[in-house]
Parts: sequence; C-alpha cells; structure tokens
Amino acid sequence: MVMRAFDLVSAETADQAVALLAEHGSEAMILAGGTDMLVDLKHDKHRPAVVVDISRAGDLKGIEITDEGLRIGALVTHTEIMKSPIVQENFPAMVHAAHTIGAVQTRNLGTLGGNLVTCVPSMDSGPTLMALDAEVAVAGPDGRRRMTLDEFFVGPRKTTLKENELLVDILIPKKNVGKPVDFLKFGLRKGQALALVNAASSFWVDWDKNAFVEPRISLGAVAPTVIRVPEAEAYLDGREITPDATAEAARLAVEAAKPISDFRASAEYRRDLIAVLTRRTLENAYDLAKAKR
Amino acid sequence: MTDVSMTVNGEERTASVPPETTLLTVLRENFFLTGSKLGCDVGDCGACTVLVDGIPVNACLMLAGQAEGRDIVTIEGLANQDGMHPLQQAFENLASLQCGFCGPGVIISAKALLEENPDPSVDDIRDALSGNLCRCTGYTKMIEAVQDAARIMRGESADEAA
Repeated sequence: MVMRAFDLVSAETADQAVALLAEHGSEAMILAGGTDMLVDLKHDKHRPAVVVDISRAGDLKGIEITDEGLRIGALVTHTEIMKSPIVQENFPAMVHAAHTIGAVQTRNLGTLGGNLVTCVPSMDSGPTLMALDAEVAVAGPDGRRRMTLDEFFVGPRKTTLKENELLVDILIPKKNVGKPVDFLKFGLRKGQALALVNAASSFWVDWDKNAFVEPRISLGAVAPTVIRVPEAEAYLDGREITPDATAEAARLAVEAAKPISDFRASAEYRRDLIAVLTRRTLENAYDLAKAKR
Repeated sequence: MTDVSMTVNGEERTASVPPETTLLTVLRENFFLTGSKLGCDVGDCGACTVLVDGIPVNACLMLAGQAEGRDIVTIEGLANQDGMHPLQQAFENLASLQCGFCGPGVIISAKALLEENPDPSVDDIRDALSGNLCRCTGYTKMIEAVQDAARIMRGESADEAA
C-alpha cells in the first residue's frame, strides 16, 4: 500500500518533539514504533503533512527506579519490558503481558507509550498498569502534567492527549513497586491475536487477618476503554481472602463490564471469560503474595 | 525526496526516496534485494522480516528514514562463498518450504533466535516464529529444520537425536 506524501522530521529529545508539534500544529503527527501508525497511514486514516519521528529520542527510553517509583520511558518496546531485570523482579505480570502482544517483530518495534496512546480497548499493556495505579506524564507547550490511566483513557482510540502534546513516560508509584499483581489474556491464538478479554488484579495482604488490602481489578476488551472495577475492589477491601470472596468479586466484575458481541466473540462468552479471568488473577496474585512473604 | 544511507548485508548503501517510503520498499526497489517479501503490508505475516541492528522487525512497518545509519541484514546476507547458512541448508535438506514465499522471513526470525539462544526448545522456536505465517507447508518441518541447524551451529551432527 502506498502512503500519502508527508515530510519526515526527526526529534532527538522530547522537548524537540514538543517544539516540532508546536511549530506544525494539527498538521503534525508523532511516529514511534510505527506498528499502529504506519498501518493507519497506509489505510489513509490520517493525513499529516509532517511526521515527527521520535524513535531516536534517548530521553524517552529507559526503565529505572526513581524516588517516585518505577519509571518506564514511553519509547520502551514490549521486548525491552520483557528483558528488563527491574520489571522481571518486581512485576512478572508485566513481562507476561508484554509477551502476549503481537509477535516478536512487532514487540521489537512497538512501544509501551504507543500502545497506551493508540488506546484500543483490548490493549494488553493497560490492565496491569491500571491495577498498579500507574500514571502517565504528558509534555506540551506549557510544561508537563501527570494523570492516572483512568484519566488518560477516554474511549476507543481516544485519550486526553492533545494534538500538541507528547506522552513522555509511565510511572508506577513507589508505594506499589513490588505489589503482587497478575495478568491474564484470553486470545484465540498465542501470537498475533487480540484479547477477547484480558484482566489484571493486584492487592497487598494483611497477613494477621489474611485480608485484601488496596485491591485493584482491571479489565480490557469489555468496555470502550480498559476499566477498573471499583464495585469489586470496594467489596474485597479489608475482606478475608477466601474462594467465596474471589467468586463474588468475579461476579461483580461481570456485572460492571459492558462487553459487546463482535466477530471475535459474543458478549455472553466474554462475560464468562471475565468471571474466570478475574478469579484466576486474584488467585495468582495471592500465590505471588505468599511466595514473596 | 530524502537521502538515506544504511549498511545492508555489510555494504554501505544509499538512496534518495520520498519520506513516506518504507524500509521494505527501499530494500526491494532501490537496492534490488527482493528476498524480503511484501505480504500483508501491516505487520501480521512476517514475510518482510529483516534484522535491524541484529533485531528482527517487520520492514513494512519502518520508514526508510528510521533505518538511517542502521545495520540491516536480509536473507541475501546469509549465504557466502562457502555455501548456504546452516539454516538455509537445513530448510533445503528437510524440504521445509513448498512455495517458499514466507521462507526468507522465517529464516531471518530463526537466525535471530539462534543468535540469542543456541539451544532452543520447540516452544522457544514456536514463539520465535509466531510472527511468521506460512499458508502451505505448515510449521512442523520448519521447526525440525531450526533444530537441525541449531545442532550444526553448536558443532553437533544434524541427525543426533535431541
């Protein structure tokens, strides 16, 4: 497929990219890993006059523990997440989630920031991050602002990112570094498959009472964006960890979700999956908590 | 037009192309390296797989300008005067390809795997090839060929049972 003509400019830093966006206004679009963007350009979904290539912006790279928490640069690829010793040690669920995305070649190109900005409801990076209260930093002409993923996601392929803004990094707050979390995806194949449903659960354990502390449940592909399930979280908070409690949380998750029927699966089938994946991620996160104790 | 230069299979190559040109198009139409195939053109099939700085990527999903200064290896870079690469030899020995359209991408993906993991399990091979679709031969003989090539590259004989 032939793409419409555009000018290609390269930004070496986040600030340069923001300056280029300011210069070219609504004519410009950002290109990172290209796994979604080039497909959209080939399908003539966007018609930018200028494409700002940020793939060499070094300050948008890197995975590190800072005073604020675990920082992941927006340009970090899914493969880099899988290979990061810091991520492997603190969040095996993120390694697993990254591994379920696309296939080797697309994981080598595709970036975490791109996955979040593209904002498809079935994105596999979203639920784990949301279950860890992750925030994104966005740079624009007036400086930087931070927001939670709940605030960032607006609808299918829609975020609060303005056309003159750039997603800079993703932060998992310090208090949640090492929090037990599990992610599961149900797709029709292991590679190159979108999630019919995906889910992540995280919580700390009050070992004196064997109770849930700060539980988070997040689901993908069952609503216009990746969502949290506050009803199930409120039910679990402070409650003793029992099979009945996880089953009730799973039931509440099914109730809160609004899955659709499409050519991949019926809404009814997705509701069954929500219950199973919610229960299993809670059980797996509990196993992880016990192993870490 | 934009000028791009990159190392392709060990040689410095340059081209002047429109900015919206993909790496795959430059390789095929400017450098006449037609081993890398245009299949789906959206990153699903893997027929265009090349190594960029040693990492397998879909050449259809990268602009030529993004490959500026990088080191590219295509299927044409594998054989040398001494003969075929062990992977190519194993694919021939086992008749692992019928039409062969997916072959260059499959072999490049397998090469990247064996450089990182000289002794992969069947699951490792399946995972490494999950972004390469074959519609005629199937994957069983490809997996056997990758195992054979791995044994050769480790200095064992191909038919030693794993």
